[in-house]
Amino acid sequence: MPKTQDICPEESRKAGEVTFTPIPINQYKSDYKKEEKKYGKERLVKMYYDMLMIREFETMLNEIKVQGSYEGMEYNHPGPAHLSIGQEAAAVGQSVHLDTDDYIFGSHRSHGEIMAKCLSAISKLDDDKLNTIMEDFFDGATLNVVKDGSHETVKDLAEDFILYGTLAEIFARETGINKGLGGSMHAFFIPFGSMPNNALVGGSCDISVGSAMNKLINRKPGIVIANIGDASMGCGPVYEGIWMAAMDQYVELWDKEFGHPPVMINIMNNQYGMGGQTVGETMSYKFAARIGAGVNPDQMHAERVDGYNPLAVADATERKKQILIDGKGPVLLDIITYRMSGHSPSDASSYRSKEEMEAWEAADCVRSFGEYLVSNGAITEADAEAMKATVVAKVSKAMKLSIDESVSPYSDINLIEKVMYSNGKVEKFDDREPELLEKLEDNARVKKLKRKQRYAYDADGKPYKANQLYTYRDGIFEAMAHRFTTDPTMIAYGEENRDWGGAFACYNGLTELLPYHRLFNSPISEGAIVGTACGYALSGGRVCAELMYCDFMGRAGDEIFNQISKWQSMSAGILKMPLVLRVSVGNKYGAQHSQDWTAMVNHIPGLKVYYPATTNDAKGMLNLALAGTDPVIFFESQKTYGVGELFEKGGVPEGYFETEEGEPAVRTQGKDLTLVTLGPVLYSGMKVVDEMKEKYGMDVELIDLRFVNPLNYDKIVESVKKTGRIVLASDSVERGSCLHNIAANITNLCFDYLDAPPVVIGAKNWISPAAEMETDYFPQGSWIIDAVHERIVPLPGHVVEHNYTNGEMQRIARLGV
Amino acid sequence: MATEVLMPRQGQSVESCIIIEWSVNEGDVVTAGQALCEVETDKATFEVEATAAGTVLGIFYPADSDVEVLKPIAVIGEPGEDISALRPADESSDEKPETGKVKPEEKPVVQEAPVSSFTSQVSNSSAGVSPRAKNLAAEKNLDPTTLAGTGPNGRVIERDVAAAQAVTPAAAAKAAAEGLTIPAEGSGMGGRVVAADLMSVAPEAVGEVVASMDFPGNATEIPVKGVRKVVAGRMMASLQNTAQLTLNTSADARSILGYRSKCKNAPEEAGVGGISINDVVLYATVKTLGEFSELNAHMLGTKIVEFDNVHLGFAVDTPRGLMVPVIRYANLMTLKQLSAEAKRLAMACIEGTIDPDALSGGTFTVTNLGAMGIESFTPVLNAPEVGILGVCNIQPKSVMNKDGGADFVPHMGLSLTFDHAAADGAPAARFLASMRIKLAAFELTLAG
Repeated sequence: MPKTQDICPEESRKAGEVTFTPIPINQYKSDYKKEEKKYGKERLVKMYYDMLMIREFETMLNEIKVQGSYEGMEYNHPGPAHLSIGQEAAAVGQSVHLDTDDYIFGSHRSHGEIMAKCLSAISKLDDDKLNTIMEDFFDGATLNVVKDGSHETVKDLAEDFILYGTLAEIFARETGINKGLGGSMHAFFIPFGSMPNNALVGGSCDISVGSAMNKLINRKPGIVIANIGDASMGCGPVYEGIWMAAMDQYVELWDKEFGHPPVMINIMNNQYGMGGQTVGETMSYKFAARIGAGVNPDQMHAERVDGYNPLAVADATERKKQILIDGKGPVLLDIITYRMSGHSPSDASSYRSKEEMEAWEAADCVRSFGEYLVSNGAITEADAEAMKATVVAKVSKAMKLSIDESVSPYSDINLIEKVMYSNGKVEKFDDREPELLEKLEDNARVKKLKRKQRYAYDADGKPYKANQLYTYRDGIFEAMAHRFTTDPTMIAYGEENRDWGGAFACYNGLTELLPYHRLFNSPISEGAIVGTACGYALSGGRVCAELMYCDFMGRAGDEIFNQISKWQSMSAGILKMPLVLRVSVGNKYGAQHSQDWTAMVNHIPGLKVYYPATTNDAKGMLNLALAGTDPVIFFESQKTYGVGELFEKGGVPEGYFETEEGEPAVRTQGKDLTLVTLGPVLYSGMKVVDEMKEKYGMDVELIDLRFVNPLNYDKIVESVKKTGRIVLASDSVERGSCLHNIAANITNLCFDYLDAPPVVIGAKNWISPAAEMETDYFPQGSWIIDAVHERIVPLPGHVVEHNYTNGEMQRIARLGV
Repeated sequence: MATEVLMPRQGQSVESCIIIEWSVNEGDVVTAGQALCEVETDKATFEVEATAAGTVLGIFYPADSDVEVLKPIAVIGEPGEDISALRPADESSDEKPETGKVKPEEKPVVQEAPVSSFTSQVSNSSAGVSPRAKNLAAEKNLDPTTLAGTGPNGRVIERDVAAAQAVTPAAAAKAAAEGLTIPAEGSGMGGRVVAADLMSVAPEAVGEVVASMDFPGNATEIPVKGVRKVVAGRMMASLQNTAQLTLNTSADARSILGYRSKCKNAPEEAGVGGISINDVVLYATVKTLGEFSELNAHMLGTKIVEFDNVHLGFAVDTPRGLMVPVIRYANLMTLKQLSAEAKRLAMACIEGTIDPDALSGGTFTVTNLGAMGIESFTPVLNAPEVGILGVCNIQPKSVMNKDGGADFVPHMGLSLTFDHAAADGAPAARFLASMRIKLAAFELTLAG
């Protein structure tokens, strides 16, 4: 909503038509003489060699899956092998013009793309660089297996290195390129520009866009290609990623130097998605390239290219790469190819005709390119035979080494625990000066905050008025401002981050402080907001994405549950994920805007989950999250944005500080009951503390959980040993609340000390109702006391309002409500 | 790798030991050197320690089993290890080992038959006792199941136990029956209110009140085991299998009292300050036995064995009960040596560190109850020994003086029990006469 751009009714309502330019289809014309002149004979032959190598590599995998042996070596591979036999020309052609700074992300069917990209990189890199890469990679663990003195050239060794490293990865070996933790569908090798491959269809699209944003914003060389299938065009986040890449603001609002992120959406159009045929059955575009026409006036420079001719693909990639370097992306390519192997070796291809498969086999890209080279005199039949023998020998050797447990031990299962989090602390991901529009001390909000009261009470214990207070949202602002002025790679975005200042005013003042490329508004694309943040972070930059409402995490399910949570560990610790996802927990806005979903993310391995309730913690915990290297889901309650600091008598420190990770805070001490709260229930808990003291003479120890994961139980255990009684309360619905997890652990840790089973209080297992009815839906202080009375220690004279009996517990469970 | 714990060989002569009590249960995690159980030989008790750290995988014999030395009694290892090969063939199979000091909350796990229906389990409204309440009850020595619970559904919770006074069941029943007020603190252990604390009744009504009380009131059962069991068996056997009788006399104690006081006042470097009256009696006994070999003997039914040397047993009162360590070759010792050896052995018995071999092989025994004011008694023979000398207290005895008057002379009582099957009354009486002379002129005895 920039004020610089007016939306005029006259303009908007004017009659006219949208015109399109024709989208080229398979326009490449073969001309051997030109091709030889352009590439040289040697490079053309090398393309054929690379195609042969990929074909042989996947033939080997197919034989292992189908027959249990290859070249007389028996092996059982229980894991997946999604093969791309038939797609070699597309992979090899794409890599011809790519440098190591150019990244390709891929899919579950990307063995060929990894090989093609790495073999191309090997042919381009000099020997010293290759040696350094191989020697440095996991301290030479992978290299040492293949380096047997038999290699005449470093490139020959490097080929074996990547063949073996990839196969060992597929076979879950410690010496694999991701120590066996990624496997067939996720393997990658960054030093050669092969980036993570993704087992979620289309999963690489928005991640690639984020990676391209990282290159753009941090002025890094190279382009990024998302290799996704034709069927992934049915996935919402793919479109979301495309919109993120195509946003007008890159050229309309950002500094002129930038342009669009250099990303190519490259559809490896192999005609099928699982058992569905895209054209004629499950989709409607007829030509996938058509989609580009709907995105922007440049029509994404879309083209369909014959992926059975590597030179056609190379030509298209070269031309589009230049467009991307010029900042005029994004680009859409529709590379026609064919999946000769089924979806996986278990696929009987019952959905396609024998005639169709035979027709494509007759046009086989590997054989036809070989024939093309022979017919043009680049190689002889004998040369081709010799090359075939070479690749068989190389693939056989890679397999022999990969299945030999003495040199390729299976990955250590305990390694996974070590790489679930990187637990790093990084002040900044680049040394350049952070780009700001003004000095921090000149910022209007910074100046305003100097006049605010950082502790909520005056010297006489009287509360300050709301407009005098330094509040929770100010804590968020200060933490953001600190990291923005410290780490030049730090960016933030969401649906209302710039100009508006965030829906809850946390970012007021940041628009004035930061240039567009560091703080901007995104499309309403929660999937791509998180997905691009994932790509930005794993490419080496810090990002704080924001989803406005916790409920919107549903829109970013895959990105949260499968992407940001998994890549650190699936990469065996190679990747870092310095990503903070701010989500606010709403209320008053009904069923789709009022949910505390801490339980969802608590359940997902690989995520850290923070939920500050106090103003001091809003700053200290966001500081902590923004200094780390792990993905943090950062919950904030809209109920608390306006509160001042009630607990830290010294007030929220003006300088930088971090809250200790995983440590709950004891807010009041007591000996009779432990009350653990998560988020804003802390404030209801304070009322419970007073009421229990006044009415029943019981001293309540109030513990503010602050962290859902990781969590140090020591203080809670110590408290329960003292009190023997514990209630845990949050605004999350009771069923499946993460507090049940904690309650179960406390039961185990403190069983002999308990005077009653722990009680978990949550909201009703219903939709959240209209604002007027919320007090009957969200836990109230009185509910907590009722639960104490009914389930822990009957309180003399207490009259219950809320039913916490066993019978009620069974009833609502039986009904599922 | 599982490690066996063997019944240790406690001394050369010990062939088997009795397990008194296990202090661990199967499944417990133990550290190397941790005590596993208490065992006893015929006269001493010892702790068997864990030979390795780990989990107790098997306990092969229950308490009270008599187990040959060097046999495995338990196995320590990692949970889940197969220990079937290590189980001894005679492992007691008819009963589960009676394991450990069972605290109320650590009752051995009993495999219950599966509950047949889910509802029968959850519909029970009795909510039981909370773990915290159980622990507090154990601390206060209360039975929490007797309390009225005020927790949800009548669960006994901490506050119920905290409010409950420690009252014996008898006192509680009496108070309830008679409407008596229970005093804040009782006279029982740890302030427990016992029935007697409720006796706020007039003396003339005592008979009636007593008649109304449970009879015989609280009693504590003590299993006969350990040293007690050994002593009991031996004493009964002694009385049943020997023809023992006791002769009483007394000896002029002036000489020994004088000698004892000299020793006490002697310079420290003389090293005689520790010599006691008992040491003096032991010494005189050894010297006398040299003259009466028929009393320094064992009666073995078909034969009597007379010993050339005196191996003198002497009774020691220990926390575990009576023990009789033996001073071997007492006849070769000076008084000072004898005194030191007696002290060492007595201390070892009291501390429980006595070598079991030192508790057997005696040829004659001395038992001294004099310090407790006993004037005469009938010591029970330590069979198969033929004699045991009881030493009594020293008290003044009127002795006629030269003038026909009476002097009060301190005398020490001596009670000699002997086995008439092995020796006759005359030599026994002569033994006592000789003892009297030796004690009455102790410095001459020393010189001789």
